[in-house]
Amino acid sequence: MSVSAHIGPLGARVVPAALGLATLMARMVPDPSMGELAPKIHVWPLGANVLIGGLLFGVGMVVAGGCISGTLWRIGEGYVGSLVALGGILLGLEGAALSWNWWWENSMSRAPLIWLPHSLGHMGAWISVMAALAVLYLLTYWWEARRAGPEVRFPGQPQPPLVTFEDRRLALWNRLFVQAWPASAAAVALSLLNVTAFAFDHPLGVTGELSGWSSRAFGLLGLYPGRLEGLDQFSGCNLVDAPPGLLTNTFMLDVGLVFGAFAASVMASEFKIRVPRQLLRYLQSAMGGTLMGYGSGIALGCTIGAFFSAIPSLGLNGWLFGLGLLGGAFVGSQIIRRLA
Amino acid sequence: MKLDVRGEICPYPMMRTVDALGKLPPNEELEVLTDHAPALATIPWEASKRGYAVDVEKVRSGEWKLTLRKTQGPLDPIAVVQEITQKTNMGG
Repeated sequence: MSVSAHIGPLGARVVPAALGLATLMARMVPDPSMGELAPKIHVWPLGANVLIGGLLFGVGMVVAGGCISGTLWRIGEGYVGSLVALGGILLGLEGAALSWNWWWENSMSRAPLIWLPHSLGHMGAWISVMAALAVLYLLTYWWEARRAGPEVRFPGQPQPPLVTFEDRRLALWNRLFVQAWPASAAAVALSLLNVTAFAFDHPLGVTGELSGWSSRAFGLLGLYPGRLEGLDQFSGCNLVDAPPGLLTNTFMLDVGLVFGAFAASVMASEFKIRVPRQLLRYLQSAMGGTLMGYGSGIALGCTIGAFFSAIPSLGLNGWLFGLGLLGGAFVGSQIIRRLA
Repeated sequence: MKLDVRGEICPYPMMRTVDALGKLPPNEELEVLTDHAPALATIPWEASKRGYAVDVEKVRSGEWKLTLRKTQGPLDPIAVVQEITQKTNMGG
């Protein structure tokens, strides 16, 4: 099955397009000297943990039927299976915290850190990433035309002629809150959001906050991973040992995703409590969630933090994680076909 | 024949529909009930490749009924899905 089915009806092409715009806009954010990393960008060493984390994550997201942010918004749309997946994610994150020091010692602390502006300059790095994204865009375009179905949009009822102000107001409301957005508009919105988040705090990411929840929950059971080595040296979706608090960007982002999806599905009159009927589906959600939690824990982020926010940060770790995702998603799709 | 795939997410609504089409007696239509919006794209796509036309009807919030009928002659999957897109009203 196509990857696009897992990231929603917008189509897989949104991903390179949005990454491209975020990269473009990131150039407007003031950067420090070339000698060191810009603060809070999602760049970290190219350790085996990044690739393996991506692989596990890829398998998990296909088996569970959605990535971590996908799990959050599907909870908001009423998918009960996604709640089970969230439980798995928290379990996997705890596993990652318990084994983090091993990954640090054997992979992360020894791996090379490559930030493209160091070797290519800002302009060179930017041009290289944009060119790579353009190639990726064309490749996805070609792949979708060859393998998957056409991109489907839901335009809603045929619009009556817009005469009065009320007609126009209603049409605008429908376009914004009832019908699905065109892929390009959603991509631009997402990229602007990410650049804004970066300008004010740090790039978007959802797993760091969840690792705080997991750590708090398992702490109640007496499970403490202890000190995690090396995590203070970079700024991704690092594992944390306590939730940073309610009035924080990361808490608001994670909980906001759930409520936003709930609101959107209610306004589109598409909300429903969706209950899987087979035990196997609950197991899939739990197992897939656990793989995603563990993978994102050792790779410092999920499809958002370690991929969508990492590629515009101009490091190579986002690409390595993406490669893992691709391989993992392929393995995952072979698995789910056998679980009908 | 009726097929209830409510509660299932991708790719299962599509896979179980294809499975049911294989067992469908001739001259009978297949009614598929789903609560997974992405299946409104995947089911018609696979059905049209197998010579079935699809009607989509929204039953209630977050629930749709697809009716699959065998048709004469080949169908163009792209045209079929585009037509359903025109008809489907996600805003209900």
